Amino acid sequence: MAAGPNLLPAEQAFRLSARVLDPSTLEVRYNIADGYYLYRDKLRMSVEPPPAASGAPLLPPGQVIEDAFFGKVQTYRGLVVVRVPLSGARPGTGLTLVADSQGCADVGVCYPPQSQRLALKVPAAGASPEPPVEAVPAGKSFFN
Amino acid sequence: MNAWRWALFGGLAAVALAAGLWVGRETLLPDTPRVGQSAGALVGIALPDVDGKSQAMTQWSGKVIVANFWATWCAPCREEMPMFVRLQREHADKGLQFVGIAVDDAGKVRQFAQEINLNYPALIGGYGAMELSKTLGNSLMALPFTVIVDRQGRIAHTQLGPLKEEQLTRIIGHLL
Repeated sequence: MAAGPNLLPAEQAFRLSARVLDPSTLEVRYNIADGYYLYRDKLRMSVEPPPAASGAPLLPPGQVIEDAFFGKVQTYRGLVVVRVPLSGARPGTGLTLVADSQGCADVGVCYPPQSQRLALKVPAAGASPEPPVEAVPAGKSFFN
Repeated sequence: MNAWRWALFGGLAAVALAAGLWVGRETLLPDTPRVGQSAGALVGIALPDVDGKSQAMTQWSGKVIVANFWATWCAPCREEMPMFVRLQREHADKGLQFVGIAVDDAGKVRQFAQEINLNYPALIGGYGAMELSKTLGNSLMALPFTVIVDRQGRIAHTQLGPLKEEQLTRIIGHLL
């Protein structure tokens, strides 16, 4: 297997964490391992349950690359911080972030789109944000 | 217990622990067919093509099959496919059969197939194809993943990541 032994599972290559900064702002981070990248236009974020809702994520500009099939696309490497406007989130309650992403490794493999869920807490009125919650890898490797 | 009994007990415990770890390792690792083993999990399936018509892999029994798991959202997959088209054209009469298994939807697959004048079947596997590739050794479930099956239906080669032309030519040269 040419590209196999040193590759990370997707959830370790693209480490997701998030926290609710205040009832109107969600902060989502992807810590992308060296040699891997995420596609900007494949990032999707939403929250549940209603009445909590999210607006369009404020995606920072990425690195523009020319894709033979899809044309100009933007990619992210390293750390990406995305702010997502929230509405209807009540202070002191919980909400679930649903974050979709898709990326590849420079060695020439791509991971299928993945959807991850994170249970987050909306800070109580006047309280500081909770520490970021990290996504737990879905499939644990026997070797880790 | 005297000293030698303790030593014997300790030794047996160590053997038991090692055996337990070994068994644990065998059962925890995915069941990956190795080269030379039957590719039954792959050659026994049928998947729809881009027109929705079911295509059984058994129709290519007796040929050297290069089954390539791919998707349009996978740039490295798309990059190696024109080379597959060329090799399919050059070696079809010797019994080489490429089969693309797309982890994708039919519309995008059809569009890309037209773009590169795909001359081998593009089957639509959806996410189930990812699970199938896992049983064939793609434990990371990433793409492209390619399984080469010999004329007897045995796995001759599996590879995660793109194939180089000289490497693929060498492998199929041995099998044709």
